[in-house]
Amino acid sequence: MKDFDVCIIGSGAGGGPVALTLAKAGYSVLVLEKGPWFTEDDFFKDELACCRRSVYTPKLKDEQHVLEEYNGQNDDGSYKWRSEASSDSGSDFWNGNCVGGSSNFMSGYFYRLKPKDFRLRSEFGDIKGANVVDWPIDYDAMEPYYTKAESVVGISGKIIPHPHQEPRSTADFPYPPTAEHAVSGLIDKACRELNMHPLPTPRAVLSKPKDQRRSCEYSGFCGSYGCSSGAKGSSRAALLNDAIQTGNCKIQPEAKVYHLATDHSGRVSAANYFDKDGNKHAVSAKIFVVACQAIETSRLLLASTGPKHPNGLANNTGQVGKNLLFSAGGSGTGEFTYKQFDTQLAQAMKHRGPFVNRGLQDWYFINDKEFGAPAKGGIIDFLFRHPNAISKANGEKWDDNGKLLWGKPLKNRLKTVFSETKYLRFEIFNDWLPTDDCFVSLDNSVKDKWGSPVAKIRLGYHDHDLKVGHYLAEKSEQVLKQMNAKNIRSSVSGAPPPNLVAGGCRFGNDPATSVLNADCQAHDAENLYITDGSFMPTGGSVPYTWTIYANAFRVADIIKNRL
Amino acid sequence: MNTELIQKMLRKWDESIPSGLPERIQEQQSRRDFLKASSILAASLFIPACDNNDHIDTKTALANPLLTKAPWQTFAAVQNHLFPKDADSPGAVDFNATLYLKSVLELPGVDEADKKFLRDGVKWLNDIAQQMFSKTFYHLGEVEREDVLQRIAGSSAGENWLSMLLLYLFEALLTDPVYGGNTNKVGWQWLEHTPGFPTPTKDKRYYLLP
Repeated sequence: MKDFDVCIIGSGAGGGPVALTLAKAGYSVLVLEKGPWFTEDDFFKDELACCRRSVYTPKLKDEQHVLEEYNGQNDDGSYKWRSEASSDSGSDFWNGNCVGGSSNFMSGYFYRLKPKDFRLRSEFGDIKGANVVDWPIDYDAMEPYYTKAESVVGISGKIIPHPHQEPRSTADFPYPPTAEHAVSGLIDKACRELNMHPLPTPRAVLSKPKDQRRSCEYSGFCGSYGCSSGAKGSSRAALLNDAIQTGNCKIQPEAKVYHLATDHSGRVSAANYFDKDGNKHAVSAKIFVVACQAIETSRLLLASTGPKHPNGLANNTGQVGKNLLFSAGGSGTGEFTYKQFDTQLAQAMKHRGPFVNRGLQDWYFINDKEFGAPAKGGIIDFLFRHPNAISKANGEKWDDNGKLLWGKPLKNRLKTVFSETKYLRFEIFNDWLPTDDCFVSLDNSVKDKWGSPVAKIRLGYHDHDLKVGHYLAEKSEQVLKQMNAKNIRSSVSGAPPPNLVAGGCRFGNDPATSVLNADCQAHDAENLYITDGSFMPTGGSVPYTWTIYANAFRVADIIKNRL
Repeated sequence: MNTELIQKMLRKWDESIPSGLPERIQEQQSRRDFLKASSILAASLFIPACDNNDHIDTKTALANPLLTKAPWQTFAAVQNHLFPKDADSPGAVDFNATLYLKSVLELPGVDEADKKFLRDGVKWLNDIAQQMFSKTFYHLGEVEREDVLQRIAGSSAGENWLSMLLLYLFEALLTDPVYGGNTNKVGWQWLEHTPGFPTPTKDKRYYLLP
């Protein structure tokens, strides 16, 4: 007799859909979550809590990563890598360790992938140095689940026909767009003058109440913050609360799974975890689902050796941790002074609350001789500079020569930046090509507070990512220029955004080159499924969360059918 | 003034910088580099005004006896120099910066090694002030204080120490008043900053959460 039908490790966007689907179907579900359990009552617009103290993420001394960065070339042309523990470098690769995971803190920019994203290799061919492959499923297999996420998670938006619109089984979003800022109209005007197609950005934020969740209250502090109205479609607010309501789902916070035990048949038999006080526990289940976010999922599998898995669970062909993905691209900024607008518009521009909600998909696929052969491009999203005041001020303490400022010059600078200037930013998302230089392994020396080896992450990127990023940055800057913004600048680099991570456990039809089959079931452990972003063999050029939700709903149905 | 000895002291101080501290107290390095490359706001730089506010911290000290004691007297003096009060804008003294800093050093959340570096900096500062002007920092005039701070800012440790003090000044200026700074929302009002809502309650300050 097993303790549970299903044990899910990780309560974020990959875990929530499985917990809800299976609990609703009457199966007993246990969700083990490493972090604490916050609710709406614990979330405030508190910059210290969200962003300046380790409240939602571990202290790096307790749990960290080792990062391997490019450090030049050897004489034979091979790359050199320099590794550094993140507690030494200060680079934090955690994103939200609590019930609901980092979906609590997302901005909720939600985009579907497009049919061609499921077959990039067939559409655009190989790129030297990149491991581009087609997915083992097509868009049609995912479409019903994208649609399901729209209504279950609650996605607000509006369909406007445009050249790159992906097929949909429903006419429009179940929730109308969230309220929009005055700047959105200015972006629309500039884009149309440039013959571009400005599109409303779909958001996983409710524009109308849904069950126990209130509509967005438009405080203007969304990304990085937990949502106190319940409007943000986090796994916790949108899925886990309903899963608990069924009476079939138990959430165990502060339960750190350090090892998945396997038996001689190669099946997972138990999840071994530490509780809050450091006591060890083991829990059994018929089926185990791992969804710890890409890096930690690969780490747990690699650490879970067993009689049939000498190199780690699901790793009998050495693929676990390989082809890790981030989101390539970059960002840029333009500045407006309130003085350049008439009084009424200046007032509207100062207003904080509504969303900018504008994006461009005109170069989702690039067909431009100046760029080269037809290629996969990406999207551009417009947004205001993050409203966090302390970090904004702290970014102004250096003068243009990198010298510390204080006294009157510092105060003048703060006054200008805060009271006279509005910063409109753009973010570029394009594919982070999978390569042999971006992967997760276990570090030999650095351990977490429970004594387990931490994940070592090699952070190489492909130069093609930068080429696409620069192409999109140039288009984005055109829009800001058309809007009469000043001091327009952008930055495209191979620095990985830790909050946009996927891959490491590719799904595919060939066990030699993938970890999971098309059902996201491990090739070498038949009662193990992976439902976070790890399954993605290529990333697409949009934030991952909607695809993670959709795929987890898809896999949940597969598990339901076999139970 | 023994310049060589001061250089030696600063180099010695450099050895005590906790690993990772510079990254923890800066907003992304890339942004800093980026600002270096651009020329924005260059025009706003000029020499600090030498108002006669040497003893502004003494006034605070009268209001709060704690601030007459080491190291808080020194911290207050440095903070008031870094963020002076003007006719039309608040200074460190107006938003409770020193007691806020004291709370940062006492509460969980900031790396213990960073806290030690911040505390120990007072001694380094005073040793260097003694070398330069034969007085501790608190007993110096405005111009001499600027000299000392410029001198230490030329070293890695001194720059990091000041950068850290500036960060906690910004926290005191702009964080929610529930944490003891930003007295009567003076920072938000001065910079016309609209905070988000709901704002944190006393029983849900970050260190009281689950």
